[in-house]
This record gives sequence, structure tokens and C-alpha cells, in this order.
Amino acid sequence: MLERLLDLVQEGGTRRVEDLARELKTTPEMVEAMLESLSRMGYLKTVDGAGCAQCVDCSLACSCGVGSGKVWAVAKPVISNQ
Amino acid sequence: MAECHGDAAENSAEIAAAVAENAPIIALAGQPNAGKSTLFNIITGLSQHVGNWPGKTIERKEGVFTHGSAKYCLADLPGTYSLTANSPEEVIAREFIIRERPDVVVVVVDAATLEKSLYLVAEMLSLPTRVIVALNMMDVAEQEGFHVEPEVLQAALGVRVVPLVATKNIGVRELVEAIGLLAQGKTRYAPRAPQVRDDHREVLKQITVQIAEWTPAPYPSDWVALKLLEGDQEITRMMRETLAKDRWKAVDEILQAHDDALMAVASGRYEWIGRMIRAAVTRPRAGQIGLTERLDRWAAHPLGGAAILAGILGIIFWLTFTVGTPIQNWLSKYIVGALAQAATASLSGAPSWLSGLVANGIIGGVGSVLAFLPIMVIFFAAMGILEDIGYMARAAYVMDGLMHLMGLHGKSFLPLFLGFGCNVPAVMGSRTIESPRARLLTILVAPLIPCSARMAVVAFVAPAFFGAKAMMVAWGLIALCLAALVLVGVITNKTIFRGERSAFIMEMPLYHLPNWRTIGLLVWQRTLSFFRKAGTIILAFALVVWVLSALPTGELESSWLAAIGRLFAPVGQLMGFDWRLTVALLSSFPAKENSIATLGVLYGATKEGGLANALAAAIPTPVALAFLAVQMLFIPCMATVATIRQETGSWRWTMFNLGTMLVVSVVGGVLIYQLALLAGW
Repeated sequence: MLERLLDLVQEGGTRRVEDLARELKTTPEMVEAMLESLSRMGYLKTVDGAGCAQCVDCSLACSCGVGSGKVWAVAKPVISNQ
Repeated sequence: MAECHGDAAENSAEIAAAVAENAPIIALAGQPNAGKSTLFNIITGLSQHVGNWPGKTIERKEGVFTHGSAKYCLADLPGTYSLTANSPEEVIAREFIIRERPDVVVVVVDAATLEKSLYLVAEMLSLPTRVIVALNMMDVAEQEGFHVEPEVLQAALGVRVVPLVATKNIGVRELVEAIGLLAQGKTRYAPRAPQVRDDHREVLKQITVQIAEWTPAPYPSDWVALKLLEGDQEITRMMRETLAKDRWKAVDEILQAHDDALMAVASGRYEWIGRMIRAAVTRPRAGQIGLTERLDRWAAHPLGGAAILAGILGIIFWLTFTVGTPIQNWLSKYIVGALAQAATASLSGAPSWLSGLVANGIIGGVGSVLAFLPIMVIFFAAMGILEDIGYMARAAYVMDGLMHLMGLHGKSFLPLFLGFGCNVPAVMGSRTIESPRARLLTILVAPLIPCSARMAVVAFVAPAFFGAKAMMVAWGLIALCLAALVLVGVITNKTIFRGERSAFIMEMPLYHLPNWRTIGLLVWQRTLSFFRKAGTIILAFALVVWVLSALPTGELESSWLAAIGRLFAPVGQLMGFDWRLTVALLSSFPAKENSIATLGVLYGATKEGGLANALAAAIPTPVALAFLAVQMLFIPCMATVATIRQETGSWRWTMFNLGTMLVVSVVGGVLIYQLALLAGW
């Protein structure tokens, strides 16, 4: 199941945990657990783009970020054969 | 039976006595935040800090407890996710279990996140120790809407499962009883450990055969073989140093031929976890989870979600225009205007330059921006609510879907989304892109994203010119920016990225009712921050603009500022701009909000009727439309430019970006002006 998840992720594009769960016929909680495992193994990394030094005094910083959800990206560049 | 270890100097007399009595050792293992330390404190009565982060309990803690007439040593192992040598905590935990041979290992698992917690149990069952599963946080699991059946889990795992709520001391007594029975060998122990997947079982057997007689004590050879297959660095090093050269070569050849084994082993464990969960956990997907799934059918749909996002943006603009703008007009007219008149009256005896500086420079400039505060508050509150209820992640997902539909590269997603707040983190966000060329291009297109400061200027200026049609104009302007972005993005995607595809996975937070206190605090903090900006950079710039508009003659039309504005007249005329609008655009470079301050100084925010009326009277519709378009596409603000320089490490690329934005904005402005003239607006 873990290998299939990594294959799906490496296909590219942005996917929701729920979409992956549906494709793997499992629960979103199971996918999250496996994503965390893949992060620990070094295949994935969590992404955090905001929070730079320039944001400290910015009056608009509240509108930054992608909400309280987590975002993972592939740790190594993936080149598609398509 | 193992001995209870501990430094006598550090441990209490009670522990020392237990050591002397050869008391059984019980180890507490578990993931960080599973409630292990709380349980340790309750069982031993020792006070200990309850950590939340990996590493806080990295020191081994020991205590003693008594059950019946027997004494037991309790060791609190560091919080770990697995028993692979990924971290010092994991090495400490497994070395303790292998070397100290505890009589019982209690694995504390979080019932609310069983999928994550059971991985450690899966690994623990492969070790030569007896395991009890302490199913903690049963109350949290129930609150989150799912039901765990401990008896079923116990039957599936083949080890004792004790449900408990450590924080409320529920189930702890039963756990201690279970520990006592297992430690004394009074309970049958028949764990159903996960098996290595069929395609790697034979390989595991081959390795075990190769190392069986040479595995250093006290390591079990089948466990060492499994860890070798997983590529565990510590165990690999140990066996490389232990085995004879030829034997290691043989083992290494097997391992090299199966370098995918880590995934196979971990995959086998997750399949096992899946079976356990299916057996013991029921999730009705009601309540928050059910609601989130129902709402996301629309909110995260590629087209439906885009429509909802457009609708939400529309509602924000509508709120801004219908609630914020009238308040802003009122403040501008009655507060800023009245203040300016009062200042002029009280400074009637002072030199005219001083009166002008205070009334037109400070009050006219900064006052216009501060009067614009209601608009900002509505904007901050709207964004705060969307963030707090969990919608922002959906907005990001939908935007990304749209970008893909338009052929844009997926890695633009994060910078793109962050850019709607502010272009600075958008440029910084491009760091997630590995390819230097792709990163550079993302940095260069990032300023085309309409940041909220630019949208806020539109929110202020659009109603002044367009009244009821302001919302459509604001939408149109955002669409214009996105169209420019798509144009540049598609070209770069075709020429530079050439099919390279990125991958992102998003975890959507559950929707929940807004926490008004959090939102209120956020609005308050941002408002204070906005005031600070108005009192520093915007005030300074308003003063510079006023001084340049007053010198050398005191007449606006013959001022140095007018001379600067007229330098750009040939370009400005193509869009119908007079020098004042050109100066307002140029003044947006230090901060986008400066445009409003400059318009306030130059068009007289302090006149009767406020700035909005003054602008509406002085500027024809095609010019206003072109001004707003150029404002949206114009060169990025100073902070963004500095960040572009920092991230590209090149002035040449920074200047290239400024040049591109200038060309795009002027071409866009001229086209819109000419089209508006043709349309007879």
C-alpha cells in the first residue's frame, strides 16, 4: 500500500489526502499515517512557505499561508515520462 | 528475570531497594504526545515534566510502583514513531529493549490516531519482549466521532489491550493489574506480529541463515535480518564490522539486489495496521468529518470550487463596498476634513507652509490612508474567518486545479497562493522548487499575483469611480492579473519546464465554527500593525510628496513633483493620465497603500466631500479604469523587489523583472484605456 501511495504521489499534480484514500481504498487517517512515514523515510517533505523575516511587521500577513492543513511535497524532483 | 538498572546516586532509595530485590522491569514506550509521561507519573507517583516534543523525554526516567506485594521498576522510554535508527530516541528505545530485556513493554497508543500509533506496536511485536497495548485517549477518540473496540483489537493483535484515559486516571488500575499478570507469567502471550510481504519472505530467510550464528548477543538474529533488509544504518554498520568479509559480501549482495525492501517491509506493516483498524475501529463519518466531506464535494470541486471561490471573493468585495466604503467616505469627509480645517484654523497665524504641511501633507496623506482602515478591517476579518473555519486550504487547492487546467506548472501553486496575501512570501515560497531555472521564472512571475495591498487599493478607488459596478470592476481587475500570469506562465511552462511535473499532497483541515476571539485578536493585531505602517513609511512618504508638491513656488502645477510627473507624461498620455496619477503610481513603490496617500495629498482629501468625490469629479471613467489596471500590474513594492534581489542573488534579474512588469502594466493600461474609449465609456 505504501509503494502504491508513493507511485500515486510521484505521478505529479496536487492531490488531497481524501483523493489518495479513495484511490487506495482506505481511510484518510491511514493515508496521513503513511505520508508521515514516507516523510520520516525521506521520500516526502512538509512544505511551509510563509513566515519569513519580512512578514514580521506586515499588516497583511494574516492572509498568508494555506490554512491549518499540512502540505507535503516530493523530497526529490520527479520527472514525468509523459 | 532482568535487573532494574539505574544510577544509585540519581535514583531514590526506593528504586535502589527495588534493584536489590530484583524487581521486574516494565518499560513504557510510545509515540510523542501519546500520554506516556502522564501515565508514568500516575503509576509511579514521581513528578515529571510532560513533554510535547520529541527529545524532551530523551533522558531515561525510572520509578518504582507496587502491585499487591510485588515491586516493579518502571522505565519511561523516549517517545518514538518506530524502532528504526532514524533518531537518537529510537536508538535509545530499542537498545533498552534489546539489552535490558524488560519483562513487559507497555506501548502507549493514542486511540484517536491509531493508524499512526500502531506502527510502533508492529515493530515492537518483532522484538523478543512481552507487550501490552495501553489504549490511551479513548475519550478523545469518542469526541472525534469514532469508536474503538479494545476487545476486538486485543483479539486481532493477540496481546492484552487495556483502554484508558490517563489524564483522568481511568483504566490505570486495570493496566497495572495486566502488567502484574503478564510479568508473573500468568497470562498467555501469543502476539500476531505482521509478516514480511510474500515477495520478500524468502530474502529475509536467506539473510537470517547467513547471519544467524554470527549475530552479536543480545541481538536476535531474525530481528537483525529484518533491520538489514530495511537498510537500518546502525545495524548495517554493526554487522559489517562483525561478519567476516566474505560473509558480509554475500549478505550485501542480497541486500543490493533488494534495495526496495524498506518499502516492502513498511508496506507489510501498514497492511497489517489496516487489518487491525478495519477490525476494531468504526467511523460513522458523522459530525464534523461528515460535514467536511459533504461541503468539500462542492468546495474542492475543480469547477464548483472555483465558482465558490469567486463568489466568496465577490462577497468580500461586496461587504467592503457596501459597509466599508460608506464608513470610509464618512471618516474622510467628517473626520479627516474636519481635522484639516481645525488644523488650518489653529495655524492661521503660522507660516502658510506649516499650515499646508499639517493640513494637506500629514492629515491629507496619512488621514486618507487611516480613513481607509474600515476597508482593511473588513478585509482582515474576512480573511481571518476563512482561515479559521478551514476554508483557505480549499481555496489553495482549487486555485491549483485552475492553474493546471490552464496549463501552468503545479509548483507555482504555493508561491501563487501565498502571493494573494503578499508578494514577499510568494517570492520566498519559490524556494520549494529545486530546479534553479524553474525557481527563477517562478520568482519573476510571482509579482503578477494581485496581492491584498493592491486589492485593498482597488477596494478603495473602484467605488469612487464606479459606484454599484465597483464589484464587477474589482473582479475584472483580478481576472486581468491572473490572465497576465497565465500568459507568462503558459509560455514558461512550454519553454522552460517542458513537462516536468511536481507533486503536492494537501491535508484539508476539518471545517469548524469560527472562534470569534481568535479572529478578533487577529484583526486587532493586524490593525495595530497597519497603524504602525501608516505612522512610519506612509507618513514619511506623504510628507515627501507634500514637500515636493509645495516646492519651490508653493504652487502645485509648478512644483518639483509636477516636474517629475511630467517627465513621464509621454507614457502617461497614452492612458490619459495627468502627472498626478503618474506620481500616485510611482509613489506605490515604497508601499502600495501610498497611492491613496498621494491621491489624498494631490487631489485634496481634505476638501468638502472627501477624496472619493474629488477623484470622481476629476478623473474620467476610461482613465480611472486604466489607472486601476496599471496599479494592479505595476512594478512590485520595494519589499518584494528587495526579496527578488535576495532570492535571485542578481541585480540583473531584479531589473529584468521590474522592466517586464513596467512593460506589462503600460501595455495593459494603454489597451484598456483605448478599449474603454472605443466603447464610449
